[in-house]
Amino acid sequence: MSKCILVVEDQEDNRRIMRDLLTSAGFELLEATTGEEGIHLAETRRPDLILMDIQMPVLDGYEATRRIKAATELQHIPIIVVTSYALSGDDAKARAAGADGYVAKPFSPRELLAKIRQFLPS
Amino acid sequence: MALVARIPARVQTKLLAAFLTIVGLLIILGAVGLRVLSGVNDQTEELIKQQRKIAAYRQVQHDTTNQLYGISTALLFPDDRTLDAALRQLNQFGYDLDRLAFVAKDEVELIGQFREDYNRFIAVMTQVVELIRGGKVAEARKIQFEQAGPLADRLERRTNQLVNRAEADMVAAIETTEQAYRTSQFTVIGFALGSILLALGLGYVISWSLIEPVTEIGTRLRQIAAGDFTQRIHVVNRDELSALASDLNRTSEELGRLYKQLEEASQHKSEFLANTSHELRTPLNAILGYTELIQDNIYGEVPEKIREILERVQSNGRHLLGLINDVLDLSKIEAGQLELSIADYSIKEVVQTVVATAESLAAEKKLLLKTVIAENLPPGAGDERRITQALLNLVGNAIKFTETGEVAVQAAAVDGAFEVAVADTGPGIAAADQQRIFEEFQQADSSSTRTKGGTGLGLSISKKIIEMHGGRIWVESEPGRGSVFRFTLPVRPNIGRASA
Repeated sequence: MSKCILVVEDQEDNRRIMRDLLTSAGFELLEATTGEEGIHLAETRRPDLILMDIQMPVLDGYEATRRIKAATELQHIPIIVVTSYALSGDDAKARAAGADGYVAKPFSPRELLAKIRQFLPS
Repeated sequence: MALVARIPARVQTKLLAAFLTIVGLLIILGAVGLRVLSGVNDQTEELIKQQRKIAAYRQVQHDTTNQLYGISTALLFPDDRTLDAALRQLNQFGYDLDRLAFVAKDEVELIGQFREDYNRFIAVMTQVVELIRGGKVAEARKIQFEQAGPLADRLERRTNQLVNRAEADMVAAIETTEQAYRTSQFTVIGFALGSILLALGLGYVISWSLIEPVTEIGTRLRQIAAGDFTQRIHVVNRDELSALASDLNRTSEELGRLYKQLEEASQHKSEFLANTSHELRTPLNAILGYTELIQDNIYGEVPEKIREILERVQSNGRHLLGLINDVLDLSKIEAGQLELSIADYSIKEVVQTVVATAESLAAEKKLLLKTVIAENLPPGAGDERRITQALLNLVGNAIKFTETGEVAVQAAAVDGAFEVAVADTGPGIAAADQQRIFEEFQQADSSSTRTKGGTGLGLSISKKIIEMHGGRIWVESEPGRGSVFRFTLPVRPNIGRASA
């Protein structure tokens, strides 16, 4: 059975790139465009990994990560935080929110895939 | 002091008042001295007068004795010569008595009695002379013995009385002089000390009433220079200094207002830049992402010819991304908004990371990329990501401008600072260009921007990052002999410790 990855990302193109990359790599994909939707999908579908964008309106990635990590039945799901252009201290903030991994934009799809493989070995 | 400061007068007026007060005291001191001197002079004159009195009294005594002696001689040798002498002496006596009356005007009573006795004495003497001249020597002797003798005694007693009184006056005068001298001494010393104390006091009070506000204004100016515009100074003075203080307060307020405006403008500018670069990067990331997916045949097998074009799309896209990032970095540094996140790092790991990143670039140009890292380098404190960025710029430049040969990265620690060098076998840099290349948008050869790519911002960013850490960067090069870019970096810089 293929592993399921939840992508929480408000940007259409970024979602599309991840979808094309990850489906071709054999993953099943769930997509959410807002933080709330991401939390809801994590609760109902229990993905094997979450890719969480940080810059989203209303509920940002840090807060969504905190909420998922606060739920006992969800906290085992690894979360890789994706920030736009790394600012000093972003990685520390991601770790403080409970993220398991951290990728800074611009990421190359190859690097992202390598990062995912750390948590979901094929 | 505060009281003096509050006096609503100009500084000039206050100083003039203090000066005049001191001058006044000096004049008083001089007057007291003069008075004392004239007192001493009076006393001296008094003493001389007494002395003259005493001399006159003695003369009169002497005259009395002489008179008795002259008459006695005439009685023994009753000839015309001795009688004339006795009469001459009578005249002399008269003169001396007149002189006495003049010298001792104040002894009216005694002089009066004296003159009475003298007149009687003269009358007796004249009678005696007449009797002698008439040959009645025995009768003359009798009168001489019975009348002239006791009169002469009385005259002598009276002169003695006068002498005693004059002497007593003299002693009293000397005592008075001494007393007056002592009193004057105390008066003069007292006035002198008083003047000195008053002068010192006035000087202290006035100078402090000036120094205090000046010190306060100075402190305030230093605060303004340090960027604190919120304080106000309160000067109690009501003179030029209070005007200066209120001017300073106004200036400070105005500066504070301008500073705030400037800060807001700068804030808007960097927010705008940050937003813009984010907006620019988002589509660019998508372009690069799709390109990579196409290259990886996610959308089907890509023909070789298209793959070549895709590589160009990718390299141009990466270049554009680099430009956007550099502009953002530089604008942040210039706005003073780039904060270093100081933590412990290993310079060895920084060099290794940079070399690992640049290895593929070097390999593409068939350049040898060497590292020489000293043993046992101490852990440094700094912003590892920014230091890596600075070194990567140098290594990237070295690879970009070198066609054949090698690029060597060296790291060592000397005197509490890391010394890192990036040496290449490239074309080298003319001495005239060695300073310029660290400025924004400057490359040694402006045509190289087109052929080699790059923004001309890399070196400038590296320089600023290194300087923010308290380090220094420079280049050693000669055209045709390659270049060595060196920088020093304090192992434990003072800056940013607090934010570490």
